[in-house]
Amino acid sequence: MDQEARLDYLIDYLLNENPNTKEQMMQYKTNTVEEKITLFWGLCNIRKPDPVRGEFTEVQDAFLTQWNNERHVTTLHDLEAAGPQLYLWQGDITSLAVDAIVNAANSEMLGCTQANHHCIDNIIHTRSGVQLRLDCDVLIKEQGRKEPIGKAKITKAYNLPANYVIHTVGPFINQRGVSPLKEQLLASSYYSCLALADENQLGSLAFCCISTGEFNFPNQRAAEIAIQTVKKYIRNTGSKLHIIFNVFKDEDLKIYQSILTQRE
Amino acid sequence: MKKRGNFLFIEKNDDIYTLSMTPEMQDDIGTVGFVEYLDGDTLNVDDAILNLEAAKTVLELASPIAGKIVGRNEAAISEPALLNSAKTEENWVVKLTDVDEAAFNKLEEA
Repeated sequence: MDQEARLDYLIDYLLNENPNTKEQMMQYKTNTVEEKITLFWGLCNIRKPDPVRGEFTEVQDAFLTQWNNERHVTTLHDLEAAGPQLYLWQGDITSLAVDAIVNAANSEMLGCTQANHHCIDNIIHTRSGVQLRLDCDVLIKEQGRKEPIGKAKITKAYNLPANYVIHTVGPFINQRGVSPLKEQLLASSYYSCLALADENQLGSLAFCCISTGEFNFPNQRAAEIAIQTVKKYIRNTGSKLHIIFNVFKDEDLKIYQSILTQRE
Repeated sequence: MKKRGNFLFIEKNDDIYTLSMTPEMQDDIGTVGFVEYLDGDTLNVDDAILNLEAAKTVLELASPIAGKIVGRNEAAISEPALLNSAKTEENWVVKLTDVDEAAFNKLEEA
C-alpha cells in the first residue's frame, strides 16, 4: 500500500465505524492526497476512544510513520545549549526525537475533539495515532475523575519520534486575568512534568508553552514562570534532565531568548 | 486564630482546625459546579482534599497542613456553590484534628 491507498483504507474505516460522521464530514473533499490527509485528520479528532479492529492500527501506523518522518526530525544533538541542560528550539513539537514531549491538555484529557483544530493537543494526538486517546481514556477512567490543573500524566508517544508524551493541564486565564493562584498552578504544571520525567528516568524533555495558546496565559509571564520553575527544579533536585523549551511563535522565541540570556 | 496556606484559610478553635475557602480562591475559580471529596482521613501537607470543577477549571485543593479529617462539608457535595459563599459556616472544606500546633503557627497570618 502506498500512502494514498492507506489513507483510502483509513478514511473508509473511520467513516463506516460511526454512521453519524458521514454527514458531519460531508463538506470535506477527497480529490488530492492533501485533502485526504485533512479528512483523515478530522476523522481521528472526532473519533471516540473505542477500540480499533482488524488492520486499522497496522495501516495507520504505517501511514503515520511515513508522514511523520517526511519532515526533518530534530534530536537533542541538533540543538545548541542555552544554558546548563537547557535548550531553546522553535518548531513543531511533534518533530522532536526526544524522550518525552509535553502536551498542553485539557481536563477531559482525551485530546482535542474539534476536527482539524490548530492546537498542540490536536496535532500531538493526530500524529501519535488513535492509540494515544485510548491510553488517555484508560488513565482518566482509572483516576475516576477529570484531570486537575497542575498535575501530569505519562503515556507512550506511539508514532511520534519521541518516546513518551507527558500530558498536563495548565491554568485557564479568563477576564479576571492572571492571579497568584494561576501563576502557582502554571509552575505546578511544569514541576509535575519534570518530576514525572525523572520518576520514569527520562533523559530529555521538551516543554511547549503551557497555557499560552487557547488558555490565554500572557506569553511573557508564562515564559518567566517556565524558566524559573525548571531552573529551580534542577537546582533543588540535582536532576540530570535535558530540558528543551519548544516555542512555535516568533513572539515566544524572542521572549525566551531574552530571558535565557539574562544574567542571574 | 486564623492562618492561610495553599489559598485556603485555616482557623483554630481548641483542637479543631477548620479549612475554608479564601475570597482570592473563590474569585479565581468562579462558581463551583461539582465537588468530590477524596477518600482517606489522614492528610499530609499538600495532599489532595477534594476535586472541584468550575468553568474551565478542575482544581484539586491541597491541604496546607497535616492532620486527621474529622468532618467534611457534605452539604457542598449536593450544593457545590456553597463553596462560593462569603460565610465560613457554608464555605468550609474540612475540619482537622491531630494538627501540629508549631506547624500551624508557622503558616502565614490570615
